[in-house]
Amino acid sequence: MNTWVGYAALIGIFTVTAVIGFYGLRISRTTEDFYVASRTVRPWWNASAIGGEYLSAASFLGIAGLILISGSDALWFPIGYTAGYLMLLLFVAAPLRRSGAYTIPDFTEARLESVAARRVTSVLVVMVGWFYIVPQLHGAALTMSIATGLPSWVGSVAVAVVVCVTVVTGGMKSITFVQAFQFWLKFTAIALPIVFILILMGNSGLSVPALAEPFAADPAGLPTSGAYRDISLVVALLFGTLGLPHVLVRFYTNPDGPSARRTTLIVIGLLSVFYLFPTLYGVLGRAFTPDIATGGTPDALVLLLPGRLVPGLAGDVLTALVIAGAFAAFLSTTSGLVVSIAGVISQDVLGGRVRGFRIATVFSTLVPLLAALLTDSMQLAGSVGLVFAFTASTLCPLLLLGIWWRGLTDAGAIAGMLAGAALCGGAIVAGRALGPLAGPFQDLLAQPATWTVPAAFAVMVGVSLLTHNRRPVGITKIMTRLHAPERPLPTPNR
Amino acid sequence: MTPEDSVGSGQAASTPPDRVRVTAPIAQARRAPGHPVAREIAEQSEVGQVYVRSLIRTQLRLALVVAVGFLLILLAFPLLIAFVPGLEQAELFGVPFSWLALGVGVYPIILLSAWLYLRAAARNEARYRDLVDDA
Repeated sequence: MNTWVGYAALIGIFTVTAVIGFYGLRISRTTEDFYVASRTVRPWWNASAIGGEYLSAASFLGIAGLILISGSDALWFPIGYTAGYLMLLLFVAAPLRRSGAYTIPDFTEARLESVAARRVTSVLVVMVGWFYIVPQLHGAALTMSIATGLPSWVGSVAVAVVVCVTVVTGGMKSITFVQAFQFWLKFTAIALPIVFILILMGNSGLSVPALAEPFAADPAGLPTSGAYRDISLVVALLFGTLGLPHVLVRFYTNPDGPSARRTTLIVIGLLSVFYLFPTLYGVLGRAFTPDIATGGTPDALVLLLPGRLVPGLAGDVLTALVIAGAFAAFLSTTSGLVVSIAGVISQDVLGGRVRGFRIATVFSTLVPLLAALLTDSMQLAGSVGLVFAFTASTLCPLLLLGIWWRGLTDAGAIAGMLAGAALCGGAIVAGRALGPLAGPFQDLLAQPATWTVPAAFAVMVGVSLLTHNRRPVGITKIMTRLHAPERPLPTPNR
Repeated sequence: MTPEDSVGSGQAASTPPDRVRVTAPIAQARRAPGHPVAREIAEQSEVGQVYVRSLIRTQLRLALVVAVGFLLILLAFPLLIAFVPGLEQAELFGVPFSWLALGVGVYPIILLSAWLYLRAAARNEARYRDLVDDA
């Protein structure tokens, strides 16, 4: 690949990010602006923004790579990523908006009237955020080395620096406009090359090597070896989405409960269309470039395919486009996460001042950067899947029981979250350390969600029942606020 | 590029206001718009609480029905492919049924479930609103 293509794409995306960050900053300057915006953001904008923050390295690169190597089993990933929003819609969207909480720790404190539970939630939110950033930086490292030939650590450092600078200077905060733009950029970047390739194929500019080929060589349907892993993965993705801190923040900018629901419905629609494209990359990759899988970097499929199939300048331009889209994915997801983590750290530890927020931003970018530089990249889709398992075992039970069950107490919530974190984290670490030594338990350790999520729920319910005298005094009022509908708004601006 | 530099050139006279971090500690959270005090009093009454509890139960039942229904359909896909003879070999435009079902077919079902839920949930809330405002 021409390295000038890579450099052009990188300079382009970094410039665009800086420019729209700057304009976003001008649009949203003061506290009042923020509140006014929070009343006027339309579900379409909000949904695009959620998509912008949600579609990460795993979605943009990981899924296609996984389909390339493991075939139709990998189709469960995009299904889980999308259906997670169905669960969010059913159980969380409207009540969370009505709670008035801006972050998950805020929700915990409001619901349980307990500072201790708030602290535990904060620690978990920070951990989830960090775990989630690491694969983004791994994706950036991979993309950078493919795009420019520079050593791969440059990619991780570049993304970390850009995110840190834009968040500290205030650009690229949780500004709806910026994130919404990122979604449509990613969508164009992944869709356009495929459309181009399909048109080429239609004009038989490309010969199709036996169309059945890409689908063969994998046991269609329920493979006996992988059924447990598939189910466990879907459980993790379905319930992990409920607790993603950077996604839940966005629900605050919905004017009311019903619009929070409409936003979620649109998100599902956007994701449904988006995920067709990684799937197509995977299928075309299996048909035309199976050597990418054996070359050891299946995650690079999306980056390499357009250049391989489309000759000449058009191929270069399309390659530049996917590289830009990939970096948009790393930048937007990372900055969304950094903003949520830094918000939590600065509020809980540093007193919630702007200065504290800036210090927290640097700190919360550095930790995952070090982790990314010190660890080897694993399958992007796989490592993000484990983050979802962790979220599903900790924050998901807290939200579900907190919203729907009066009986949840602070002691129960803390015990359940700690149990879920210990079990899920322990299983992942043990599975890594033991490897094949774990024998029959290998699958249970590698994809722990199926048993750690119910275990966390059980502990949370059990301890809450034992400590039922610790139920918050104002529980009736809290539950009413979470569930009672607002009067329909007469005008959008209050 | 720092934003201050660039803003300064255009509006040198007015210094931009200090940045304020917006947080929402729950103690100061604002009342949801369109939630009048009269309604709140009605909801705090004993009868009001009965209504609230029944609303929560109805919404939870609805959510569970949709979730379980969707999961059963999801589970049915691999089971169908595994146990219905011929389906494994079935193709449409050269694409096997299993790929079409999982790669494309699931998404309209997710959307449809979401849309049906949305309508039913709004209906439940409208019914509740009528009850409380009449009370």
